[in-house]
Amino acid sequence: MEQYKLFIDGEFVDAADGKTFESIDPGTGLPFATVAQAGTADAEAAIAAARRAFDKGEWSGLDIAARIAILQDFADEISQRGVRMVTAECMDAGQTISYAKIIVMWASLMIRNLATYAATKFQFEEEILASGNPFSPGREFVRREPIGVCLGIVPWNFPTALAMWKIAPALITGNTIVVKPASNTPLTALILAEAAKAAGIPNGVLNVIPGPGGALGRTLCTHPDVDKIAFTGSTEVGREIMRMASDTVKKVTLELGGKSANIILDDADMDLAVEGACFGTFLHQGQICESGTRVLVPSKIYDGFVDRMKKRAEALRIGYQMDPTSHMGPVVSKEQLATVEHYVKLGKEEGAELITGGQRVEVPGREGGYYYAPTIFANVDNKMRIAQEEIFGPVVCVIKYDSDEEAVAIANDSIYGLAGGVFSTNIARAERLARGVRTGTMWINNYHVFAEYCPFGGYKQSGVGRELGRWGLEEYTQVKRIHVPYFSNRSANFSLLSDNKKIDSFNYNCPTNIVGGHGSLSSIYKLVVDLGCRRALILTDPGVRKAGLADLVKNSLVDFCVGIYDDIPQDPDLESVDGATAAARELKADCIVSVGGGSVIDAGKAVCVTLKNGGKANDYINRWHTLSEPQTPHIVVPTTAGTGSEVTTAAVITNKTAGRKLFIADPRIIPNAAILDPRFTMTLPKNMTVGSAMDALTHAVEASMSIMANQICDGQALHAIRLISENLPLVVADGNNEKARLNMQIAATMAGWSFTIAQVGLAHCMAHTVGTLHHVPHGAACGIVLPKVMRFNVDHAAAKLARVAQALGVDTSGMTERDAALAAADAVEALMEKVGHPMRLRDVGVPEADLGRCSLHAIADTNVIFNARPVNDPMEVYAIYQQAH
Amino acid sequence: MPLVTLEPGVGQAIRSSLAEAGVHGPVRIEIQFSGCCDPSLGLMVDKVRESDLVEEVDAVTFVISPETHELAGEVRISRVDEGGREGFVLTSSRPIGEWDGFSTCRIRM
Repeated sequence: MEQYKLFIDGEFVDAADGKTFESIDPGTGLPFATVAQAGTADAEAAIAAARRAFDKGEWSGLDIAARIAILQDFADEISQRGVRMVTAECMDAGQTISYAKIIVMWASLMIRNLATYAATKFQFEEEILASGNPFSPGREFVRREPIGVCLGIVPWNFPTALAMWKIAPALITGNTIVVKPASNTPLTALILAEAAKAAGIPNGVLNVIPGPGGALGRTLCTHPDVDKIAFTGSTEVGREIMRMASDTVKKVTLELGGKSANIILDDADMDLAVEGACFGTFLHQGQICESGTRVLVPSKIYDGFVDRMKKRAEALRIGYQMDPTSHMGPVVSKEQLATVEHYVKLGKEEGAELITGGQRVEVPGREGGYYYAPTIFANVDNKMRIAQEEIFGPVVCVIKYDSDEEAVAIANDSIYGLAGGVFSTNIARAERLARGVRTGTMWINNYHVFAEYCPFGGYKQSGVGRELGRWGLEEYTQVKRIHVPYFSNRSANFSLLSDNKKIDSFNYNCPTNIVGGHGSLSSIYKLVVDLGCRRALILTDPGVRKAGLADLVKNSLVDFCVGIYDDIPQDPDLESVDGATAAARELKADCIVSVGGGSVIDAGKAVCVTLKNGGKANDYINRWHTLSEPQTPHIVVPTTAGTGSEVTTAAVITNKTAGRKLFIADPRIIPNAAILDPRFTMTLPKNMTVGSAMDALTHAVEASMSIMANQICDGQALHAIRLISENLPLVVADGNNEKARLNMQIAATMAGWSFTIAQVGLAHCMAHTVGTLHHVPHGAACGIVLPKVMRFNVDHAAAKLARVAQALGVDTSGMTERDAALAAADAVEALMEKVGHPMRLRDVGVPEADLGRCSLHAIADTNVIFNARPVNDPMEVYAIYQQAH
Repeated sequence: MPLVTLEPGVGQAIRSSLAEAGVHGPVRIEIQFSGCCDPSLGLMVDKVRESDLVEEVDAVTFVISPETHELAGEVRISRVDEGGREGFVLTSSRPIGEWDGFSTCRIRM
């Protein structure tokens, strides 16, 4: 008899206690090899070797190309041992030789293919281009790193393939592994160890220790140096392993039992379906976890189908597994034979009708072998134990059903969820059923089809995790996120534990191409070309359309305009964005041109995102920094001078269902180009001119006060304030003052830039609140509360506000810094009075009785965190509201 | 050779389980779990069949089919309740699988 030893730390060794056991040929019942039987000491030695090997990094530290090169050699070494492995597989597991040669060939191919896949396609390192966190920009990436020491527990039905399902992903991803093959079938894993040694896989990376699971299981599954367990076997043992693994929180993948349903539909190709039902059950004597051991057949064809299955089963040749003419060999052991007999007896007691089989088979010359006839039970109730419990032998239950829905319900009436099949000539119908069955794999018009790039694993009590494919590789890795910030700066990174909230690092990202001045609309022809576009859709609102401004743009686009969509309302909602997106899709627009105020531009931003990424606007709302590539090109032609939306990262969209204004905030939505042609604001009414100007002024003042403010921001903000202070009275006095109009446009854009850098603060929080709750126009609300918030902030932003005062034209000479800061607030109010802006909240319909509620809403607004003075007490906000009322 | 041997306290635990469930009847020792980890033994409340081997131990009546007894030999039942592992553990003088004694089981009622 051949003798096999344990493989530990790169050496073949006897068991520490010298024990051996015999491997039995199930086709004869005779021993044919002796194998060293690992005990606890050997298990600990194997784990220690794997631990040392992992920690030394000789394998885990190799770059993937070097690791894959060695694994390709491993595959070659396996191939060289092919004949010996096929023979061992047959003799150990009872696989027919015609099947075993495929399985062994697959094992060699699998590691080659998976390794190549890993080297070329698997994401060992992955960039996160959009982190979703706007406050801490930087490089974000993940590395998939090996877990450490893995334990692979391999069953006896496919000892080579299932060992390789564990060894290949573990080694490819840089782990080390201890393999415990089943005691019935230890040989091929040890031959794989020979191949690994010959291929130069470092000592300790792969260890193979045959031995009884009952004795070794606790040591292996509770050992603190084992980091991951991959187990294929029964649900009963898997459940216990999962419990043991929990003590040291080991990662586990479990591929467990099944009682899969093979659903035959009434429109199936019956020759195919009968063959599929028998193949699904009787291949490898039914000792396959995903076998279709419940065949579901429509009542109206039931009797005929069972009759055909019976004929096919009785035609199967049962014989010695090394005989190439055998269709079926022996079951793996006398205990498994007894189990099959036990369940067949149980089935008869339960009242199922034994159609064929139900007995041992004598194979001439192999009288000691464990052969059992293919067995069919008909008229089986799915509640019977033979339909609910895993028999793991050539026994199939044929169950009637009357509708597709009932078939799915029966299929799902199981604690298992491993696999299943559907046979039908109507693929759509078959797929509908396949989707309804809660299992990890469904085959249509086929069965038992595996592939190394396709995942395998169970739903419900059939397992945890997946083997094979990228999913299987991922199970052997752990994800490490690495964050490297833009700013290695205390104030930027750790301000939460500091009293000084001021952040002195900044990111200036304002990529909009600005074209300004009288007649600058003409540039749009070239801008579209520069963006690589030919089909621009104009978005606008009815008022702008009526004023003829959209048609002006259309004429400038000449042939590049595919249409005008003029249904964008004030405060655009999701539906209006979806409507505009649908129009853009229908017209195959490749560019959006927004002509209007902040509402139109914001809608345009949302359309660009939805058009680029598919779906509906709601898919992209309330998301921060989640876009990772350029969006649909966007050119804007503002018709107001206020929001600055032409250069900002935000779009505000109303969700009518939620009754809230929501947003997209992302640098990727900043428009590509903005045309500041003063002709487009000349027709803006006085009240809207003033309101939008106060919005812009508030952007600039709040950005300047913000904890995120910096010199670039200040430069933009202060000049915007100066322009507004000087030009707003002029445009109020004469709406046709084109130079003043252009200056107001420039001011709004610069204010937009400033708050894109530094955000806004409490005034905006308070304005958002009264806008939402009492429909106060945003610009008016901003103007009313801004001077009050400036006074509230005075001791936290005195220097900034003093410069604001100067920008507003206040002569601050001789004033203290604080007095100058307070003078800035006075100057804002003076400007408001001069241009006829409302001065109090009561003037715009906010009831005093609701100020308390407004305070609670305002303090919860996100922008509050950027305010110069920390805002933690709603009563402080309430007091400001009272002052403004 | 006895059919069944109980570790101390096991008889009481079985009686309590049956009483809590309001179930009477002999406890069958049978093959319950199969799969590619080999079969294992379990317990269930059942009736006595004609060919059964019957033995009363610690006021609990156990039944086992002659085939199962021939396969497994004497069955030893212990009980564990530690660290989330709770139930009866069945081992046999002729283990019917390599995971003999590894898992716990409850009495199938």
